[in-house]
Amino acid sequence: MIVSNWRKAMMPIVLSVALLFSACSSKEPSKYATTQKETTGRNAPAAVAKNAEAGGDFNKFFPQGDAGFARVFSQEKKGFAEAKLNKGGKNVAVMSISDTISVPTAAKKYEKSTSKIGSYPLIEEAPLKSTGVLVNNRYQVKVASRDPSFTGDDRQAWLKKFNLDGLSKLK
Amino acid sequence: MSKSIFELVDDLPTGGLTVMSLNALDFAIPGQWQNTVGFDNTIKVVTGTDDPEYVQAIGERAVALYNDKGEGYQTAMWLYNTVDSGSRLLGAAAMANKVGEKFAMLGFLGNITPKAETAQTIDLSVKLVAEIVAYCQINGIPGDSVGDFLAGLGDYGGESLMRMCALVCFDGLIPLGPDFIGMVMDKMGGMSPGELEGNQTFKGIKDQIPGGDTGGQLGFITESFGNVSGWMSDFVSSRGLSPEMIVGNMRNFVEISDDKLDYLGAFLDVSTNYYVHTGTQTLARRLIERAAAEM
Repeated sequence: MIVSNWRKAMMPIVLSVALLFSACSSKEPSKYATTQKETTGRNAPAAVAKNAEAGGDFNKFFPQGDAGFARVFSQEKKGFAEAKLNKGGKNVAVMSISDTISVPTAAKKYEKSTSKIGSYPLIEEAPLKSTGVLVNNRYQVKVASRDPSFTGDDRQAWLKKFNLDGLSKLK
Repeated sequence: MSKSIFELVDDLPTGGLTVMSLNALDFAIPGQWQNTVGFDNTIKVVTGTDDPEYVQAIGERAVALYNDKGEGYQTAMWLYNTVDSGSRLLGAAAMANKVGEKFAMLGFLGNITPKAETAQTIDLSVKLVAEIVAYCQINGIPGDSVGDFLAGLGDYGGESLMRMCALVCFDGLIPLGPDFIGMVMDKMGGMSPGELEGNQTFKGIKDQIPGGDTGGQLGFITESFGNVSGWMSDFVSSRGLSPEMIVGNMRNFVEISDDKLDYLGAFLDVSTNYYVHTGTQTLARRLIERAAAEM
């Protein structure tokens, strides 16, 4: 009885090992293979610049939550801070500040900007349902929708609630 | 060489015992967990875009972030992997222990395997600590106050909530019964550093647990479990969770009788890897969110 239970229990393991080996046939190289190669190994560049601002320095420039919206800080890494906006317990948007010193192309895209919030260039990225401004030519502030109820107008309204002038004075 | 993040996410299974076991817990957190697999697919699900250029750019940034060891993502992945494999060894030991109790001729096994309850107690507590340490490796310590940090923890959803649900059900309720929270707190409170030192799961991630020496680490683990016990207790009572309920939902794919519940816990231990599975999903989601925000 016990022996047969044991066998029964082992069966899925044996089967999955067998499947694993049979699945290991040759594959096409991944479209991320080049990035993988460039970012691994001894001389690979760091993903985050050494002199990037500490993520915690960005927290105080985020807007507070207000009527119906709860702000929940969710990530704080070097050069990056993120908070969620939740409504009725559901995540409707994410807000972030990042230091483009690690990703120069992120700052470069604002050269094509045609509108502004205050003196800060604004870019709308429709495929990402995301709106961003570039502060001090360096800090990117973004709001991205995670729910259809949170519109482009909402994104701009929340961007205006950031303390962008305060962020521009960050040394 | 360790696997790339896109391979890890692409290789997540859509079926098998882990996925079936987690799906069986849907009744506890209805609709919260979808088994999102595939790297590009996860990018689409998280950001809502299927524009190939954006998907590629986000994917490349996420790959670079994961590969930068200083960013902590690989440590988190290692933690998820290590507590799952530690748990597998425990599963095998617990089975041996049960057999040892049943058959006198194998009784000697009881001397070389830990008492199932103590081992399971440590396993559950260490897994919980691994979750806290992995959370900090992935997300940093968000916000400016302890309250912000706890709010972040309390905001668990999707695969992270499923992982905690599985921890409560598969490592708490099923192997230790409905009073597992009080039982674990009692046992951890009376445990010696030596007992902890002998545990495989603890040994696996010892270097990553705050507290200095084993005594300090025991204190940290006990305190952490105490801090999360309120959340766990609410989780169980607000959903009316019981071992019978969970087993009832699992009977669709596991043949098990009521007097063999201990075997079910051990069986799940050796045959599933829910920490790695949902941990990979959590990690991918956070990386992708960050990559999309930074580009």
